[in-house]
Amino acid sequence: MATPKGGNFGKVLEIDLSKQTFKTRPVSDEILQQYIGGRGLGAYYAVTEYKAGKNALDEDAFVFVGPGPLSGTMAVSHRTCFAHKSPYTGLMTHAETGAHLASEIKFAGWDGLYIKGRARKPIWLSIVNDKVEFKDASKMWGKTTDETHEMMVKEMKDPEIRTAVIGPAGENGVPFACIIVERYRAAARSGTGMVFGDKKLKGFAVRGTKYAVPVADNAKFLAAARVNKEGNMQGEAWEGIKKWGTGGLMELKHFLHGSLIVKNYTTTWYPDVVKLGGEEAMRTFWKRHAACTNCPTHCLKLGVIRGGKYSGLVAEGPEYESGGLLGTNLGMTKFDEMIALIEACDAYGLDNISTGGVLGFATEAMEKGALKPTDLDGLKPKWNDGDTYMEMIRKIAYQEGKAGKLMAKGVKKMAQQIGKGSEAYANHVKGKELAAHDPRGDKIRAYSYTMGTCGGDHHEGQGPQALGMTAMADSLCICSFTNFLVYGAGTDKVTTDMLNPLCGWNWKTEDYWTTAKRIMTAERVFNVREGISSKDDRLPIRMYKEKLPAGPRKDAIFTDADQKDMETKTYNFFGWDAKGIPTEATLKAYGLDYLIADVNAAKKKYNL
Amino acid sequence: MEEKKLPDVLKKETTRRDFLRGTAAAAGSAIAVTAIGGIAPKKAEAQYSVQTAPGTKPYAQKYRFAERQNCTGCRSCEFACSLFHTGNVRPALSRIYLAKYKDIVDVPVMCWHCDDAPCIAACPTTPKAIQKDPKTNGIVLNEKICLGAKCMKCQEACPAKYIRGNADTGQPLICDLCGGDPQCVKACMEQAGNPQGPCLQGRPVGIGVNMAFRDVTPDQAGKDLANLLFYPNVEGKRVVPAKTKTKKGR
Repeated sequence: MATPKGGNFGKVLEIDLSKQTFKTRPVSDEILQQYIGGRGLGAYYAVTEYKAGKNALDEDAFVFVGPGPLSGTMAVSHRTCFAHKSPYTGLMTHAETGAHLASEIKFAGWDGLYIKGRARKPIWLSIVNDKVEFKDASKMWGKTTDETHEMMVKEMKDPEIRTAVIGPAGENGVPFACIIVERYRAAARSGTGMVFGDKKLKGFAVRGTKYAVPVADNAKFLAAARVNKEGNMQGEAWEGIKKWGTGGLMELKHFLHGSLIVKNYTTTWYPDVVKLGGEEAMRTFWKRHAACTNCPTHCLKLGVIRGGKYSGLVAEGPEYESGGLLGTNLGMTKFDEMIALIEACDAYGLDNISTGGVLGFATEAMEKGALKPTDLDGLKPKWNDGDTYMEMIRKIAYQEGKAGKLMAKGVKKMAQQIGKGSEAYANHVKGKELAAHDPRGDKIRAYSYTMGTCGGDHHEGQGPQALGMTAMADSLCICSFTNFLVYGAGTDKVTTDMLNPLCGWNWKTEDYWTTAKRIMTAERVFNVREGISSKDDRLPIRMYKEKLPAGPRKDAIFTDADQKDMETKTYNFFGWDAKGIPTEATLKAYGLDYLIADVNAAKKKYNL
Repeated sequence: MEEKKLPDVLKKETTRRDFLRGTAAAAGSAIAVTAIGGIAPKKAEAQYSVQTAPGTKPYAQKYRFAERQNCTGCRSCEFACSLFHTGNVRPALSRIYLAKYKDIVDVPVMCWHCDDAPCIAACPTTPKAIQKDPKTNGIVLNEKICLGAKCMKCQEACPAKYIRGNADTGQPLICDLCGGDPQCVKACMEQAGNPQGPCLQGRPVGIGVNMAFRDVTPDQAGKDLANLLFYPNVEGKRVVPAKTKTKKGR
C-alpha cells in the first residue's frame, strides 16, 4: 500500500458518532488514483461496504465529506462533496458545495471525513487539526442554520471556522433537507440533511492551521496551476458569471434559450422574469460579490432588501436554480418575496430546488382540483402568493400538520398519494424534482436529469462526455465553472497536467477518461443493485406529452427518438448494455471486477 | 493655414458603426467558452497596471491600500503570501489575512507600514528584532533575535491589531512587502475583473493609509463596511423572514 506522494495525505478521518470515537482510516495511493476523492471515493466506499437494499438511515450508514487532491493548492479548487446513499431516492448520491470548507479540511490534515453511527442526543463536532471534539448540541437543536452557525462561531471563539450545519428540516426528517455551509452555500439535492438529522448530528466546524497539502513536484505543479488560473480569468466565467452570478441566466434562458421553467413546467415564457432576474438584482439588491477559495469567479452575490415588509433582509441570490424554482416556477412577480422564500429555505435547511418543485406541484394540483384546501390545513396556494408559500415552507420544514407531512414527501409520493391524474404533471426523475431547466427547450440537459447518478439533477453533465467530466470534476472537487465549462475539449489535458506533478502520477489524457468512466460505472452498479435500469432513465411524462406553448422554443417537445438517441449515446460511451447495465467486459476494463457478481445478482433479481 | 495639432484620438472620426463593431467583437470573445489555445495578454493587468506609462519603471510599492468594499473574500492574497514565504500554501502562516464580520463582509487585515512604526518602537531587544528595510519599506523579522511568543510586544503595540503569531514558532507574522514586489497585490490585481476593480493596491506614498486606516481594528473596519454596503441592516443582524418554532423532540 503506497502512501500518496502529493495532493493527499493518505488519511481519512473516520468518526463514529455512536461511540463518540475517531480514528485515522488510511487510503492508499492506488485507491486514490482510481477514485480520486470526493464523489469517486464516496462511491467506492459505498459499493464496497454496502449490500444491495441497505437502509440509508442505518446506524452504520456513512456520509463521506470529501475535498479533492487539488483543494488547498494554488489550483482553483474549492468544492466539497457530500457522498452517501440518499434516503430520498434510495440511490447513490453526491451533493457539492462551494465556500472555504474543502481547503480547511485539507489544512487540518485530512483527505476527507467519514461520518457514521448515531448519537443518542444531539451533538456537533469541532475538528481543529488533529483534534476532534464531540460537543453538546441540545441548545442548537431547533435553531435555524444561520443561528447555528453563529453559535458555533461563538463557542469556538473563532470567526474563521468553516461550518456545515442542518436546520429544522433536517432534524425533523424532511427527505430533501440539505446541509448549509458557512451560512450561504448549500450542499443540497441529496437529502444529506436528513441523514445528519437521523444521526443527531447538528453539524461540524473545521479549522485547519497545521498542515499544507504536499506537492510532489512543486515547480511543475505551480506552472500548471498558473495555466489553470489564467484560463479561468479569461474564460466565459470571467465575463459573465463574475458579473451576474448565475442569476443573469434567468433572462438569458427566458429570452434566448427557451428553457426557463414557469409555473410547474407548463411553459418557458414569462416576461415578468425581468422583475426577478439578475438585472433587477443588479439594480436594486446586490451589494457585494463573494468568492470561494482562491477563485477568480466570485459568483455569489450578497444583497440587502431596502424597504417593504422584508426591509433589512440580508440574503444571497437569486441564483438561476433558486430564482427559477422559487421565482418563475411559482409565478412570482415581487423580487423581495422571492428572496425571502429563498432565504427561508436556507434558514430551515431545505433544498431550494425540491421545495420549489413541491410548491409548484401543489399549486397546479390545487388549480386542477386534485388537492383541496382541506388537504393542506386550509391553505390555498395560487401563483404569486408569497405569503402562502412562506407558510407552506415552514410547514414542510417542521412536517407540521397534514399539509407539512404530505408536502415533505416530495412530488413523486405526493402524486401517488393524491392520485386524480396528478401523475401527469408530477415532474420528477427517479423520485427527485427537476431543476430550473426545461428539457424540452434545453434538450441536452435531459442527459443530466436522466443519465446522471442522482436523478433529476441539473449538474450531472450535458452529454455523454460531460457526464464523465462532471464525475471527474466532482471527484477532484473542482467547480464546473472553473473546469470543463472553461476548457471544453481541453479539460482532460489541463487537469492531468495539474494532477501529475501534484500527486506524482503518470497519467495520460486517456487515464482521465478511464477514471471518469470507472467512477460513473461504479455509481451505476450501485444504482443497478437498487433496481435501476433504462426504464427509470426517463423524463417526467409532461416532457413527452405537452408541447411548449410559447417562447423561443415554441412547440418543442421531447420525442421518443430524442430519448432513444440519448440512451444509445450514453450507454455506448460508458460501455453499458441497451438496458443501461454495465457489461462484464466494461467492469473488467475499468478494474471493477469485484462488482461482476453484484451486477449478475441484480440482473437476475430484477429480471433485466 | 497650419492645421492645429490634435492628439490622434481626437483626429480620428469614430462612427457609431465602428463603435458598435468594436463592442460586438468584445461580446463575441466573451461568448466563446470552449478550449483556449494561447493565453491572450492579460486584461486585468493592463487595466489596473501600476506602471505609469509604457516603458517607464513601475512604482515602488512601499505602501498598500485596500479598497475594502471590493474584497470578494477569495483569499488569493493569503494563498500567494504563504506560498511566497513558506513555499507551501498555508493561510495560517500568511502575512495578510481576511477577517469575517458577521459573515456579510470580509476585511483584509494587513500591515500599513506606518511611518512611525509603533511595533518597532515596542520591540524590546537590542538590536531590534524587527526593522524596516529602508529600500523597500517592508518590515523584516530577525528570527534569531526575536523573543517570540513570550514577548509579542509588537502585537500589543499594533494600532490596527494586525500582527498575529506564527503557529509553529510563536514569532510574529509581519509584512516584508516581499522585497518590494508584494505578491498579495499581484494576486488580487489579477483576479480583479469584477465591476468594482481590485481590492489591494500598491503605491509609492502612504498618504491616507498611515493616518486614516491604521487606528481602525478589523472589527471596526467590518462594522464600517457593513454600514456602507448593507444599509439599513447596518448591524449585519440576521433577519430571518420565517418564524422558528420552539424546540421539538423527535
